[in-house]
Amino acid sequence: MTQAKLSAPPTILRRKLRVLGTLVTLLPGVREQAEADLGIEIVYETLDFVACQRSAAMRPESYDVYEQCFHNLDIVWFWGALQAIDTERIVEWSGISGLAKEGGISKYASRGQGDAPVRKLYVQPGGFLGQKPARHISMLPTVHNMDSFGYDRRVFGSVPDLQASWAWLLDRRAKGRIALVDEPAIGIFDAALAAEAAGELHFEDIGNLSISEIDALMALLENRRGQGYFCATWRSGDQASRLLHDGRVAVQSMWAPVYGDMGAMTDHFAEAAPKEGYRAWHGGASLSRHLAGSDLDMAYDYLNWWLTGFAGAVMARQGYYISTPERTRKVMPPDEWAYWYDGAPAAYDLLGPAGNIVVRKGALRAGGTYLERVSRIAVWNTVMEEYNYAARAWDHFVRRVNEGAA
Amino acid sequence: MIRSSNPLAMEPRYELITQVLRRNIVAGQLPVGLVLLEGPIGALMQTSRAPVHAALRQLLAEGLIHRFEGRGFLVGRESLGTRPLRRDISEFDLDIPDQVDDALQTRGTWKHVYEQIEDQVASCQIFGEFRIIETALAEYLGVSRTVVRDVLARLHGRGLIRKNSSSHWIAGPLTARTLREKYELRAIVEPAALLLAAPHISYEVIEQIRERIDSDSTLSWEAMEDALMEHCIAKAQNMSLVEIIRNNRLLLSSVNRALTRLGLPPDDIALDQYRTLFQLIARHPIDSAAEYLRGHLQIMTRKSLSRMKIVGVISETQDFASYLTPL
Repeated sequence: MTQAKLSAPPTILRRKLRVLGTLVTLLPGVREQAEADLGIEIVYETLDFVACQRSAAMRPESYDVYEQCFHNLDIVWFWGALQAIDTERIVEWSGISGLAKEGGISKYASRGQGDAPVRKLYVQPGGFLGQKPARHISMLPTVHNMDSFGYDRRVFGSVPDLQASWAWLLDRRAKGRIALVDEPAIGIFDAALAAEAAGELHFEDIGNLSISEIDALMALLENRRGQGYFCATWRSGDQASRLLHDGRVAVQSMWAPVYGDMGAMTDHFAEAAPKEGYRAWHGGASLSRHLAGSDLDMAYDYLNWWLTGFAGAVMARQGYYISTPERTRKVMPPDEWAYWYDGAPAAYDLLGPAGNIVVRKGALRAGGTYLERVSRIAVWNTVMEEYNYAARAWDHFVRRVNEGAA
Repeated sequence: MIRSSNPLAMEPRYELITQVLRRNIVAGQLPVGLVLLEGPIGALMQTSRAPVHAALRQLLAEGLIHRFEGRGFLVGRESLGTRPLRRDISEFDLDIPDQVDDALQTRGTWKHVYEQIEDQVASCQIFGEFRIIETALAEYLGVSRTVVRDVLARLHGRGLIRKNSSSHWIAGPLTARTLREKYELRAIVEPAALLLAAPHISYEVIEQIRERIDSDSTLSWEAMEDALMEHCIAKAQNMSLVEIIRNNRLLLSSVNRALTRLGLPPDDIALDQYRTLFQLIARHPIDSAAEYLRGHLQIMTRKSLSRMKIVGVISETQDFASYLTPL
C-alpha cells in the first residue's frame, strides 16, 4: 500500500505505542497491520466506554493515543488529559469528509441534535471545543456509524415498504421482549427517540434534555418497566448477541457487528431504518498530553496510518464507515465496497473482521447507501449537560430492569 | 475526630469573655477601680484583642465598667473619686466556669469542624442527592442534637441544604442547571460589586498579588479567585451584596475542591486570565476589568459544566461521611 513518508522512521529497537480505547476500533487485525506498516510495537488497552473515559481523564500518562468517540471527549479534554492535534501534520486532512469537518455530508443532510463531531472538533481560543474551523483539533475523525435497533419480522411484519419506527422499542407487541443498550450517553437516546416517536413525550432539544424532561422520560420507562416491557439491558455486542441466540428479544438496541452473529434469529431479525432517523456516533483518535519529541512523531504516524485505507476496510466489515472513504475504496474488493457503502446486494457471502461469515449472498444493507444513511441523522450519542443527573436516573432504571429479570 | 459536647462552643468568643468578666465583676472578684486592658485579658483568655474589645464595649453598655482618662476601662460605675487600681488581672483568681473555659479552648476547633461539615455537605452534591441524618451527624461530631440543629441552621442559611416534604434535611443534587444559574448570578453581581469596590481597592495590595502571580509557580487560579474576592469584590461598600456573592460562591468553590481532590489538574488558562484581570484592575479604568471578569466567568461556566461530567464515569465507590445517605 502507498505510505506517506514516516516522520519517525523505524529503528532496530522496536518502539512501543500504547493505545487506550474500546472494542469498537481496537481490533487485532488493525493492530497487526499497523505494526507491520509502521515498524513499531503497538499495545492495546481495551476498556468499556465508561471505564475508558475515566482512565483517559485520570491516567493520561498511561497511554499515548486515546481512541474513542467524540461524545466521550468533553470529560477527557476538559480534564486536561489531551493535547491538540495539528492538522498540518495530518496528511489526509483535506481528504476527510464533511460529516466531521463541516457537520454534514452535504448542505442538505440533517445535522442531528447533540454531540455532532463538528461541535467538538476544533480547538477554540481559551481551550474550548467548537465548530469554527481552526488549525488545531481535539480528535482526529475516523470511524462512524448510524445506529438504530433490530426487530423480529415475525412480530412487526416483513412487507417491503414497512416503515420501522423507534416507537417499537415501547411497543405492546414486543412486551416482555425488549432490551436496551445500557450506556447513558447512548441507550437514553434510544429510549428518548422511542418516547417521542410513540407520541408519549416531546423534547425541546433531544440532544440536551432538561431536568424535567429527564424526569418525564424516566417516569415513562419506569411505568413500562413496571408493566414488564423490558427483559434485559446489555453493555457489549456479545451480550446483545447472546440475547438473540437465546431468543429472548423481539426488538432491541443494536450495534452493527451484532447483525453478523445472531444465531437462530439470523433469518428473522432485521435492522431497522427508522423513519425518524438514526442515532449516530463518530469515533476518532486523540493524543495524550504527555507526548513530545519522537513519541509524539510516532503517535502522528499512527494517526496518519489510520486514514490510509486498510483500517477503514476492517471497520467496513463490521458495518462501520471511515472518514476517508476514498482511500478505503482503493483497498477493498469492489463487491465488498458495493455492499457496505453502496447499498448493493452482496455478490457472495461476506466475511467480518474475525473471518466468519457476517453477510449472506444476496443480502441488502438496511437503510441503503452510505449517503442515504448519513443524511438521516436524528441525534448523536451525547454526553449532555445534565449527564450526571441522567446517568444516575438511568442506572437506577437499569438496576430495576435487571433485578426484575433475575 | 474532635469531640465536644459543649453547646457554648458555638457561641461567639466575645460572648464567652463577656460572661466571664460580668460574672467576676458582679461577684466582686474584680475590685472597683481595677484597670481593664485588652492585652492582658486576651492573654488570660487565650484569644486575640478583637473579641476582648467587643466584650468590654458590651460591659460598658451594661454600665459594669466605665471609661477614664487613661488607657482601658475601670471596673464599676463612674463615680467621683474612683482611683485607678493598676494590677495584673491574672493576679485575681477569676471564676471561669469549666464549660466556658472548655468552650474558649475549643471555639477555634469548632470553627474548623463547621467548615469541614460545610465542605462535605457542599461537595457531595455533585454526586447526587443526599439525606442528612441528624442523629448520625451528632454522633459523627460527638455533640448534642442542639448543636447539630445550629450547624444545620447555618447550612440552611447559606443555601446548602433544604427540607423536603417529610421534613428531612436534603443536600443536592447539584445539577448543570444549578451550576449554570450560580455562575449566571456571579456574572451579574460580581462585576457590579467590582465597580462599587473600585474606590476602596488598595493598589499596593494589587501590585503584591501581581508580583506573586509572576514569581510563585505553585499559585492556583482558585487562590487568585479568593484574592479577587477578599481584596477587591469584598471592598464594595454594600454588605448585602457581598454576602450574596459569598454565599453564592460556597457551592461552586466546594465543587472545585471536590474535583481537585479527584485529580483535576491545574488550569493554567484560568490562572493566565487572573493575571490579565489583576493587570486591568491595576492599570486601566475599572469598567474594563469588570467586563473581563464577566467574560472569564462565562468561560468558567462552560468549563465547569464539562468538568463536572467526570462524576458520571466514576464508579460508585466514593466515600461519603456516615451522616450522608445517598437517595
